[in-house]
Amino acid sequence: MTEVIDAGVVRGVPPPSDVLLDVRNLKTTFKVLDGLVPAVDGVSFSLKRGETIGIVGESGSGKSVTALTVMRLLDIPPAQIDPRSEVWFDGQEILGIPIDRMRRIRGNDMAMIFQEPLTSLNPVFTVGDQIAEQVRTHKKVSKRAALDRAIESLQLVGIPSPERRIKQYPHEMSGGMRQRVMIAMAISCEPKLLIADEPTTALDVTIQAQILELLKSIQQRTGSALMLITHDLGVVAEMVNNVIVMYTGEIVEQGTVEEVLIEPRAPYTMGLLESIPSVEKRGGRLSAIKGVVPSPFNLPPACRFEPRCPYAWDLCRQVTPALNPVGSGGRLARCHLYSQAGASRLRPALDAHRAALTAGRRMTSNRS
Amino acid sequence: MTQQTVPPSDPLGSGNPDGAPERAPADYEVELRSLSQSELVWRKFRQHRLALMGLGILVFLILVALIGPLFLPFTPVPPVPDKIVFSGRPPSLGHPFGETGGLQADVLMLVVNGARTSLFLGFTSMAIGVTIGTIVGAIAGYLGGFIDNLLMRLVDVMLSLPLLFVILVVARFFRDAKDNVWSIIIVFGLFSWMGVSRLVRSLFLSIREREFVEAARAVGVSDFRIIFKHILPSALSPVVVVASLLIGANISGEAFVSFLGFGVNPSTPTWGNVLSNALSFIAQGNWWWPLFPGLAIILTVLAVNFVGDGLRDAFDPRSRA
Amino acid sequence: MAKYVVRRLIQAIPVIIGISVVIYAIMLAAPGGPVQRFANNPKVTNEQRAAFVKSWGLDQPIPVQYCRWIGACDPDHGGIALLRSNGVPNILPANVGGGKNGMLHGDLGFSIDTGQAVSERIGLAALPTLLLAGSALLIWVTLAILLGVFAALKPYSLFDKVATIFSYVGFAVPTFWLGLMLILVFGADLKVLPVSGMTDTRLSPPFGSPAYWTYFGKVPVTAFLDVAKHLILPVITLVVVSIAGDSRFVRASMLEALGQDYVRTARAKGLPGRVVVFRHALRNALLPVVTNIGLEIPFLFSGAIVTESIFSWPGEGRLFINAVNGFDYTILMGILFITAMLTVFANLLADVLYAVVDPRIKY
Repeated sequence: MTEVIDAGVVRGVPPPSDVLLDVRNLKTTFKVLDGLVPAVDGVSFSLKRGETIGIVGESGSGKSVTALTVMRLLDIPPAQIDPRSEVWFDGQEILGIPIDRMRRIRGNDMAMIFQEPLTSLNPVFTVGDQIAEQVRTHKKVSKRAALDRAIESLQLVGIPSPERRIKQYPHEMSGGMRQRVMIAMAISCEPKLLIADEPTTALDVTIQAQILELLKSIQQRTGSALMLITHDLGVVAEMVNNVIVMYTGEIVEQGTVEEVLIEPRAPYTMGLLESIPSVEKRGGRLSAIKGVVPSPFNLPPACRFEPRCPYAWDLCRQVTPALNPVGSGGRLARCHLYSQAGASRLRPALDAHRAALTAGRRMTSNRS
Repeated sequence: MTQQTVPPSDPLGSGNPDGAPERAPADYEVELRSLSQSELVWRKFRQHRLALMGLGILVFLILVALIGPLFLPFTPVPPVPDKIVFSGRPPSLGHPFGETGGLQADVLMLVVNGARTSLFLGFTSMAIGVTIGTIVGAIAGYLGGFIDNLLMRLVDVMLSLPLLFVILVVARFFRDAKDNVWSIIIVFGLFSWMGVSRLVRSLFLSIREREFVEAARAVGVSDFRIIFKHILPSALSPVVVVASLLIGANISGEAFVSFLGFGVNPSTPTWGNVLSNALSFIAQGNWWWPLFPGLAIILTVLAVNFVGDGLRDAFDPRSRA
Repeated sequence: MAKYVVRRLIQAIPVIIGISVVIYAIMLAAPGGPVQRFANNPKVTNEQRAAFVKSWGLDQPIPVQYCRWIGACDPDHGGIALLRSNGVPNILPANVGGGKNGMLHGDLGFSIDTGQAVSERIGLAALPTLLLAGSALLIWVTLAILLGVFAALKPYSLFDKVATIFSYVGFAVPTFWLGLMLILVFGADLKVLPVSGMTDTRLSPPFGSPAYWTYFGKVPVTAFLDVAKHLILPVITLVVVSIAGDSRFVRASMLEALGQDYVRTARAKGLPGRVVVFRHALRNALLPVVTNIGLEIPFLFSGAIVTESIFSWPGEGRLFINAVNGFDYTILMGILFITAMLTVFANLLADVLYAVVDPRIKY
């Protein structure tokens, strides 16, 4: 179960021991030629041991930067992390520890799988070399034992005849194979947290399902926690228990996967779901969210989704909405509809969303 | 998902979502009014600080070469035994670059007069090299086939030769001629066309398939006209870049050949000849003698290289305006 | 791979033939030819001149002269024939160094000047040149990589800017001028380093002579240090002018490598910074550098002749300059031809090397 610890929480207190990752008020900005770009703007969430969470959003929503900040893989500068931000991992705050200690966590307790398996593997070393190198960095084992561990990992990710494969170079493998190698590398030190950043985006559709299936079974078998970053709501539905939806660096909605996908509460999530083509909607009009994502240099003054929101009213242009609780049980949505001021507008908005979702269905049934 | 990402390292939105923040921030696309090619190039060139500096230095050097000798004329002194001194004199107010040993000439006067020959030689030999290279490259690229193959093998052969050695040998043939500046210019021109020809050829290969050439051919324009009126102008900009670098290489090369005594006749002042004379007085520690002509060479080569860099960036359509 | 090398060698044949033709043509273009060496010598009679022309075969038609130089004719009959009179192909190696067999037999003829075999004179000069060029190459490549890597690690830092200025200037400095200034400062003014030759002639016999090697055998350390001391200034000269371009090249290549995804992966694996930089990024950044260095080797030799001529280093450069002065055509043609061949093979080597270091490339 994820729960939000908002900015008001007392700082410096470790989370309960069943919480593996606790991100508190994370703010990451980039210094570019034209000024400062807030890439992640006050994100807080937590992930318990062995659980799974999905972070969903478009390019530029800050989801990858969130992951890279947690891994401390961003170059500082150009990146800057707000000094008040905290990331607790496995009982310690990791944004403040020396980079050398962080290095011992990376790849060992916390591993990451990247989007492009071709470019993410080093072309001049064999895959066995690259996996064994990670093992030997973190575990005091012999070269032979590390290679054995590499073979084991490759076996675990379903690569046939791994003894032969460890001697191959990445370019000698197919895209799906390479991503399996990336996963094998990530799990080679049995990490407590696995971060997968768009792990299937660069792959063929048929391979995508296999890799997701593999990730899921690996997660279940090893009991590690999984943070899955994707722009694909369908992937989220298959893979995780909890979902965070991000827009322009902020969390706009949070809840269990069933809640968020079946009954979205933030207008942005509603729009996303309405824009998914489906068999039922065939022949009907496919709605898209109007407008474009605002430039990070020119964000709307209050609610950042307001210019594109079909339910917006004056308040949305004046007051920045908080992450409001929706019902009970930790569901959150960044929208004035769930504040007192918006209470009266909530029902018509939800009705409109439902209508938009079923619009296609109605039209097809009319025709038949 | 094709909106501008943060930071916008990926304007097409095809790659890493969230915009690969580790990479250097890329340029923002700047909307351009429709400027003519030359306006655009000049606008970009102006923003290249080093290139502007290089251009300034180059203009200054050319002015020195043109006007300087009027104020400090080179007068060959007959080697009268009683005028020959064992060691030169260090820089002073009257002779800011010092005086040479031997004939006791003013180093500043030698450098100024050397500029005339050296720059003239650098520019003219470049012009010869570029002309030959452009013609050879144009013919090879436009005609293709056997002729192309033959010419390009010739380029391979020429590039395999140790050019400096060859130039030395050929320059030696003309050493005893009285005024051999033109011989040296032609020698340098004859051995500096290969890079240009390869470049022009490759440009031709890519340009000749384009529509406007097809169109010209379709209406019956002759090959000669197509090459010189239609294709060459589009190939000009990269050639200009290479040409600027050739000037530096040839000035420096001439200095070396003259330094060894195989170049321009020793009675003509060039930077290389001044250095060559300095060599025999090295034991006297007359540092000002080789220092100033050497600095003149460095300054010239630096200037043309800066200008070349600036032109390269200015001609590059991908660089920011 | 073997197939690729063979194909490249076959492709090189027309280029090599072209090289020999061009070199020959250049020598033919010389006004007066080798006889020119006697032009200012009033003691040489016309008869002696005619005898010289005849003995070097300069009275033969040009194709015959060329053919005799490359050795594709029957040496016994002077005619153009690819087969000897006994039917054996005329391109097989004959007794080397005899002066009559021609290049195809590995015979470069005799020096017009001294009458020694050209191969012998070139061979004698090879060791000093290799010593100079080799040590310069070693130092300059190491320094260029270090400079390039550290500049790339902190782009636009003070270090990077200084390195940039240095490389711009290094690019523009004429080799011979730098050598001259070094001689002036260290030799004439400070008198701390030897500025000429390869050994101290007051202590040892001339380098390369049998007497020298006896001397070397007796006091190897002293002899070695003596040569090393003489090496310092020429090597500095060569290194400074050569390092500029390469350090920029390494920097650009390294910057590109550091921005690659696999470097991020390496960091995500928790590898120490030096492993990320020197194993993962540098290994990739060096791939194009290897090729570049292969292509530069011929220029290294051009640079070496310039340096040698200033520091009186007894290598190929000095041999060449002396030959230019003395119209020693056979030596000139020999050096030109060998250097051109070196270029052809350096190009081939660069390509082959690239395939060796980059597992992605298969020919």
